[in-house]
Amino acid sequence: MAQVAIKKRKGILGALAFVAVVIGLFWSLVIAPPDAYQGDVQRIMYLHLPSILTAYLSYFLVFIGSGMYLWKREKRDDLLAHSAAEIGVLFTALTIIEGSIWGRPTWGVWWTWDARLTLTAILLLIYVGYLMLRSLIEDENRAASAAAVLGIIGFLDIPLIHMSVYWWRTLHQPPSILRPDKAPWENVHPAMLTALAISFVGFLLLYFYLLSMRYRLGEMREEIRARRLDRGA
Amino acid sequence: MSAWGFVSLAYGIVWGSILVYLILLKRRYASTAADLDALRSTEATSSDAKK
Repeated sequence: MAQVAIKKRKGILGALAFVAVVIGLFWSLVIAPPDAYQGDVQRIMYLHLPSILTAYLSYFLVFIGSGMYLWKREKRDDLLAHSAAEIGVLFTALTIIEGSIWGRPTWGVWWTWDARLTLTAILLLIYVGYLMLRSLIEDENRAASAAAVLGIIGFLDIPLIHMSVYWWRTLHQPPSILRPDKAPWENVHPAMLTALAISFVGFLLLYFYLLSMRYRLGEMREEIRARRLDRGA
Repeated sequence: MSAWGFVSLAYGIVWGSILVYLILLKRRYASTAADLDALRSTEATSSDAKK
């Protein structure tokens, strides 16, 4: 009975994510006006910002799950951290790719060793390392503990990424939305802000849909492992 | 490449990658669920046989 309810909730979440993504795409590609300076290339920002914010959220969950695991030693916290790290890597890689495609017509280069870009690439490498570490250590508990330490340390890169445009002279522009001196609606056209907000909601719903599925996958694997151990004992 | 070319490339890669990840995740999910069901039914059969 509980399984049916979970499946139904997951179905509703998936359907909501799909609807939000379709509306977000329509708003981003059709309704939002082209940028006065960048033209239509700026539409890539409706992917770029939601994907990096989703990746940050994912690494925040890795941070929380890892901290809780090291404190309480409960498998569910480790499962949350592991699931969130895998999806976080996907969204970080996509952020770098989108940024690169936007950078070519805007900056004239696919890649530059700018502080924000480099720190984001380091973030990706840290969490790819996190996933590799888990697969390299055979003992499950040792792998979870080592990964949890890396998951917590890796999260410290995010404030550095955010502040990098203030601390160093970078090619990457300062934030347009999360500015300390201006509200978003004072700085961005309302139709552009709406496109960004809907895209972000779509990414968030999609993220939680993927996370719930990945978490359940981890739970099932854990149950299989426990049952096989019981049979072997 | 035109501006819309870059936009199409970015949107295509992003949604294509997410779709591929979703399909792979669903496959892993289905095969693990099948393994778990098989294990549960084997255990149920062996516990019935013991009775």
